[in-house]
Amino acid sequence: MKKASGSRQSPPRRGARSRRAGIDSRARAWLRHHRAVGLDSARRLLRHPLSSLLTMLAIGIALVLPAGLWLTLSGADDVGRRLQDSATLTVYLSPSVSESRAMTVADTLRRHPDVASARLITAAEGAAEFQQALGLEDALAELDDNPLPASVVISPVDTSPAAVRDLGDQLEAVEGVDEVRVDLAWLERLRRLAAFGRRLTLALGGLFGLGALLVVGNTIRLSVESRRREIEVVTLIGATHAFVRRPFLYSGAWYGLGGGVVAWLLLALGGRWLAAPLHELAQSYGAHFGMPALGWQGSTMLLLSSTLVGWLGGWIAVHRHLADMRPR
Amino acid sequence: MIAFEHVGKRYGGRYEALADINFRITRGEMLFLTGHSGAGKSSLLRLIMRLERPSRGRLLVAGHDIDRLHASQIPYYRRQIGVVFQDHQLLFDRDVFANVALPLAIQGVEPHESARRVRAALDKVGLLHRERALPIELSTGEQQRVGIARAVVNKPPLLLADEPTGNLDPQLSADIMRLFEEFNRIGTTVLVASHDLALIARLRHRVLRLREGRLVSDEQVGDGEGA
Repeated sequence: MKKASGSRQSPPRRGARSRRAGIDSRARAWLRHHRAVGLDSARRLLRHPLSSLLTMLAIGIALVLPAGLWLTLSGADDVGRRLQDSATLTVYLSPSVSESRAMTVADTLRRHPDVASARLITAAEGAAEFQQALGLEDALAELDDNPLPASVVISPVDTSPAAVRDLGDQLEAVEGVDEVRVDLAWLERLRRLAAFGRRLTLALGGLFGLGALLVVGNTIRLSVESRRREIEVVTLIGATHAFVRRPFLYSGAWYGLGGGVVAWLLLALGGRWLAAPLHELAQSYGAHFGMPALGWQGSTMLLLSSTLVGWLGGWIAVHRHLADMRPR
Repeated sequence: MIAFEHVGKRYGGRYEALADINFRITRGEMLFLTGHSGAGKSSLLRLIMRLERPSRGRLLVAGHDIDRLHASQIPYYRRQIGVVFQDHQLLFDRDVFANVALPLAIQGVEPHESARRVRAALDKVGLLHRERALPIELSTGEQQRVGIARAVVNKPPLLLADEPTGNLDPQLSADIMRLFEEFNRIGTTVLVASHDLALIARLRHRVLRLREGRLVSDEQVGDGEGA
């Protein structure tokens, strides 16, 4: 025996070149084995298509709920952000303020450091806009005086609710200002709802991810059981744990990937099914928001994490078995 | 090559499978290990394979105390040992060729080279024409020879055999032993556990005899005429 410890099968080392060749060939062998095992695991899954499909369905269904919730949330986040970005304050000037005075007040407001832009709507413009929007030409024409005050529409620099509210308070103190209208309450509510939803998604994601992990783990455990003899034999003739583990990790990863594809399909189908009623709903609010889609980034994330869950399930199943086989 | 120094093995704290075993095997030697079943032959082989660890004493292989091997080194250590099992431990879901190629696959030997060595090993045991057969289609003797081909395919310096002729008739047993002698002739150290005393007596090698976990004799059989 050459050496008892760690002497791998490697060509005799004759300087740097042959050493590089040794590492190269070992890397090639490693890649070759991965490819062979990956394909073999896939073939084993295909040999029992129905039971493999059932496992993948179980994983897919477990993943579809958190993924769908996450999708809904990111859609709601999007809508919320767009709404927040377009957050404006309407500053109503006192009715007694003259048009030239209104311009001065508007300039004062524009110079405020927290104001990004300010647009003055004179009393006359306001009336015109009002008429156009509501078709109340006749009603206003009846009145002698224009009852509308001049107003200034402010876009804040910082659109976060707290900053907007703060700015509103400051602007209210400016001379000539009657009232500042900030409608943030519902935006705030949406934000809180989203924060709650994110936690819920996280909790459900964890829970259902664990469920998927158990499904894979259990399936792999059965396949470990059925290949027990093979594991024993290859261990006897010098297989490393990594070698023994590899086929099961690949099986787990395939199951996970399959489950991810199932989840993806379910999400796509569900999205299509819900798109029409959602569109109608949006229209009834005069809003424009469509069904959020996963996109290639979300799809990659979904498939990657499902594959990872499968891989992990495989790892846990084999690890327990290998731990039992340690020499006493 | 192998040195047992006061090696003992207990199971479950009570049952003493081996007690105070002392012997050495030099490189290139061929020897037999005999004794009734339960005398400790298998335990002794399992210790060498590092499937079990001694409860007492030291077991040196190639100068290394194998009890000190790190778990991650054990696979590489085992690759230096070819093992022939009584029940040959073939995998029935793949053909003869794949069974023999298994140790090479584990070591990541390149397929072309692997095929060459598998055929050489199968040729050696006279089963080259059966490489595509499934183990189930072979006779017991043929299965055992496939097991031997698998044990020697990566040319291990040490070959262990646990009752390799247990289920075979005398003629086949003699054939198998001749195979071991051939491997020994090209430098492989061979240790065969067997209770086939008649066969061992004819082969004229060193014999270790175990009784109830103790080494009771260690002698060269057939030294001198008429022994």
